[in-house]
Amino acid sequence: MPPDPIPRRRTVLAGAAAAATVPLLSSCSASRADRPLSFWNFYSPAPQQDPNLVAQSDWFAQAIDAWNASREREISPVYMTGDQMNQRMPIAFASGDGPDIFLISPGDYLRYANGGVLEDLAPYMEQEAIDDFYPEALTTRRDGEAIYGLPMEQEPLALFYDPDLLEGAGVAEGDLPQDWEQLLDLSARLSSGTITGLVLDVDPGYYQNFTFYPWLWQTGGDVVDPSTQRPVFSGEGAQAALDLYGRAIASGATPRTRPANGDIVSAFSSGYAAFWQTGVWDVSNLRLNAPDKHFGVMPLPAPPGKETITALGGWAWCVNARGADPESAARFVVQVLGSMEPSSIEHVAAWNGPVKGNMPARASVDAALVASDAFADEHLATFHDDILPTGRGEPRFPPAVYKAVSDALQSVELAGGDPTEESDRAQQTIESYLETYQGGTLV
Amino acid sequence: MTTETPTTVGRRRPGSARARRRSGLLLALGIALALATVFPLVWMVLGSFKTAQEVNSPSLIPETFTLENYAYVFSQVPFARYLLNSFLVSAAVTVIALWFHSMAAYALARLQFPGRERIFLAIFATMLVSAPVTIIPTFIIVRTLGMVDSYAGLVVPAIFNAFGIFLLRQFYVSLPDELEEAALVDGASYWTIYWKIVLPLSRPILAALAVFFFLANWNAFVWPMTVTSDPDLRMVQVGIQTFQQQYAADWNYILAAATVAALPTLGIFFVFQKQIVASIKTSGLK
Amino acid sequence: MSAATTTRTQRSRREARAAALFLAPDAIGLTVFVAIPMLLSVVLGFFWIDGFGNVDFIGVDNYVRMAKDPQFWNSARVTLIYLVTLVPLIFVVGLGLALLVQQRFPAVGIIRSALFLPYVVSMVVVSMIWQFMLTDRTGVIATALSAIGIDGISFLGDPKLALGTVVAVTVWLQMGYYMIIFLAGLQDIPGELYEAARIDGASAWQRFRSITLPLLAPTSFFVLLTSMVAVVTGGLDMIFVLTSGGPANSTSLLIFYIYQQAFLFGDLGYAAAVGSVLVVFLLIVSAGMFLATRGGRFSHDD
Repeated sequence: MPPDPIPRRRTVLAGAAAAATVPLLSSCSASRADRPLSFWNFYSPAPQQDPNLVAQSDWFAQAIDAWNASREREISPVYMTGDQMNQRMPIAFASGDGPDIFLISPGDYLRYANGGVLEDLAPYMEQEAIDDFYPEALTTRRDGEAIYGLPMEQEPLALFYDPDLLEGAGVAEGDLPQDWEQLLDLSARLSSGTITGLVLDVDPGYYQNFTFYPWLWQTGGDVVDPSTQRPVFSGEGAQAALDLYGRAIASGATPRTRPANGDIVSAFSSGYAAFWQTGVWDVSNLRLNAPDKHFGVMPLPAPPGKETITALGGWAWCVNARGADPESAARFVVQVLGSMEPSSIEHVAAWNGPVKGNMPARASVDAALVASDAFADEHLATFHDDILPTGRGEPRFPPAVYKAVSDALQSVELAGGDPTEESDRAQQTIESYLETYQGGTLV
Repeated sequence: MTTETPTTVGRRRPGSARARRRSGLLLALGIALALATVFPLVWMVLGSFKTAQEVNSPSLIPETFTLENYAYVFSQVPFARYLLNSFLVSAAVTVIALWFHSMAAYALARLQFPGRERIFLAIFATMLVSAPVTIIPTFIIVRTLGMVDSYAGLVVPAIFNAFGIFLLRQFYVSLPDELEEAALVDGASYWTIYWKIVLPLSRPILAALAVFFFLANWNAFVWPMTVTSDPDLRMVQVGIQTFQQQYAADWNYILAAATVAALPTLGIFFVFQKQIVASIKTSGLK
Repeated sequence: MSAATTTRTQRSRREARAAALFLAPDAIGLTVFVAIPMLLSVVLGFFWIDGFGNVDFIGVDNYVRMAKDPQFWNSARVTLIYLVTLVPLIFVVGLGLALLVQQRFPAVGIIRSALFLPYVVSMVVVSMIWQFMLTDRTGVIATALSAIGIDGISFLGDPKLALGTVVAVTVWLQMGYYMIIFLAGLQDIPGELYEAARIDGASAWQRFRSITLPLLAPTSFFVLLTSMVAVVTGGLDMIFVLTSGGPANSTSLLIFYIYQQAFLFGDLGYAAAVGSVLVVFLLIVSAGMFLATRGGRFSHDD
């Protein structure tokens, strides 16, 4: 939108104000020449001494120390929680002081990429390394040949269940629901008193959308067709997926607020929930915090006659192209996550394996994990063998598209909205937004 | 001139049956309200003694009573440091703010000068900010002044808030007009009047404000989180948040930490509430 | 000029100088840390800003967009409902509690502290506790209601109830604070007035209406004004923890909408524009209140 060519007095004044603020907004002070590069993350240095958290913190520290020892530009980790990062990053970038390296989720990715602040990491990588990444992990972080973020992991979603609770209700492990209808039926039957049949996400946000996409994809529907970049959200598939959520709440199968404040450990330990949609990270969570509690993992059921599909989350490391030294930062990120050096592969395998307990984003890391028997745990094995192959990377959408889907979902799920109306409305919103959209492709 | 009776309403001849019954009714009402109000917090405190497995259950009394959460909060996390930081910042802001704001309010309420009401309105208007938008320009200004990641950055911006000026101004306005006449006739300076007459009279309001300012800064986390990255400067609310990890939260530690964090402010309130309630009868001056 | 006029002019100049000195620290501080960011925000409302250094002047386009934005109007509606329910409620509850704890009866000090206690704990923790207690089926409130036969109410998950729940929790949180303010104001009313009225045979209600309320006017004015501002510009942390603006945008206050636009969407210009609308709204209402009360000064002439 170019400004009016005839300068009016107001324009001149406002322009002067803008001119005054722009240098403030994109300042590059000289004192940044020598300061260490900042790496904003939510692992290291750990704020508490819990052995798990310390192990995760140490993993980062090892990578950073190895880099710092080699007389390169020093890198210094800054710890903050995920929520804090969501608040501090926009402030930092808006004031021209964004961190040099940071973690990014697929939901946020496109906004940063379109803002032009992500450094292309491909020139620093060997082709072999690029090919080593699983397509589902890398596609959502690349644009053509350029790669703007390197994923450190993949985190698939699945359906966790409480076999003890199910047994008590007469459901053996062989009788687990095979499709949507069976799942809803069983969950509605089980929900009474303090017991909840099926826990789905209810709070609006990137995460709820993330947990919604697999159900959408299973119907054959999608938000945007990646090849045409046109929205397809008003199709039958989207309506069916929205309807699933609506029916889950209406039938009483799913509560409007998650039990135990969303803490699966407490909920399963207290027998509050039969089925819970969550991701691979809760395997370690449950193992560590409720070691005596039996739990089960199964792929997300699909609509009758369809195949199961899941969504793959996971965080990526990105480099601030407007930082103090993007080149060194890029080489650091590639050294840790995108290198074919055996020690590097081993280090990443340590993350996906014992330290974090999730799925790898690269074939060579996968091989190392299999070789070291990292998937001995039955549930991690289920994730690795049965669930990961059905996964599709969490999409990257601009915030406006995210909001349209979220509003439709919230309306049908919680406000009794009609799936057809809501999907049509969202479709129109996305259509009119995409008309003037200029930026990275939606994948 | 000033009497120290703690209440001005409802005095009856002490000892009469009517007085005792009225007293009893008020007490019953007070207790009912107090219990209802305090219940969620009782739940918080009791929850801080629960183990991690039990912390999310709705039962009030812990089945397994443990002090481990408190031990963890102080030993595995530099919680004492967080408390100290919060205390330093809150105390500094409170003292400075009380001083600045009472001066400004005195001028706005009792001194005559051109444009007085317009200046007051302008000061009031600064209360109308929407934090999410102004936080970015504020951060830029603080950064330009070199106060990022320092105690100055935590203390200085927190001082300037029109709320205290407004409250004090309303209070000073309500004082009798003739308050300073005698002193002025005697040739006292405005500073002396402020320091020796006005300030002592405002003890209840200042006590109330002291509690509010201290509380507001003690419980603040958006600004402290934004302006500091150094763990040594971390304040207590930001510290409590660190018990939340990526997908889970250590509720038992959070409740313990929150209980500890609530104690100093509760103590401050308890101490100051007598001041707040002390009556200042100005009728004697008429 | 007569000698008297000269002294008066000298004195008023002395007065003005003293006033300037008294006002200086706050004036400077407020200008630097509050007024300038506020003005900058207003200016930013005329730009398109993506938060990464890309800026473009677009004049009133943000405001045009706002007028056509259904989500903005939804948030405005939610905020209005929130405002007209919360402000009177908090006023009445705060005053009522202050009147109660001003009485003399055993343990009044402890009860006073108990009523103030919610305000002492940080809003984030308080919101987490309420979220616990209000969970469907397993929360404390749900269990208690279930025991008396009421099932299936979702306080935070039902779009028709969520805003009311937020109002209730806010009252619980803030009532101690306003109670204290009213208390300080009540303490200022001389007891002799009540004595005289009682001797004249006035009932408790008559005493309240003709002595308490009028003399409480400056405090009441203050409470109304500040609670209105607090309600419109605050509550963000609570919404964040309790509802994230849901369910189905039923608790999406304007302040939350602004936050979303600025931090989630990165649309700083638009957020600034909405913020400016908020400021203007508050300014108009406050100015009206100031005009109606002659600058918030209430005469003491009985």
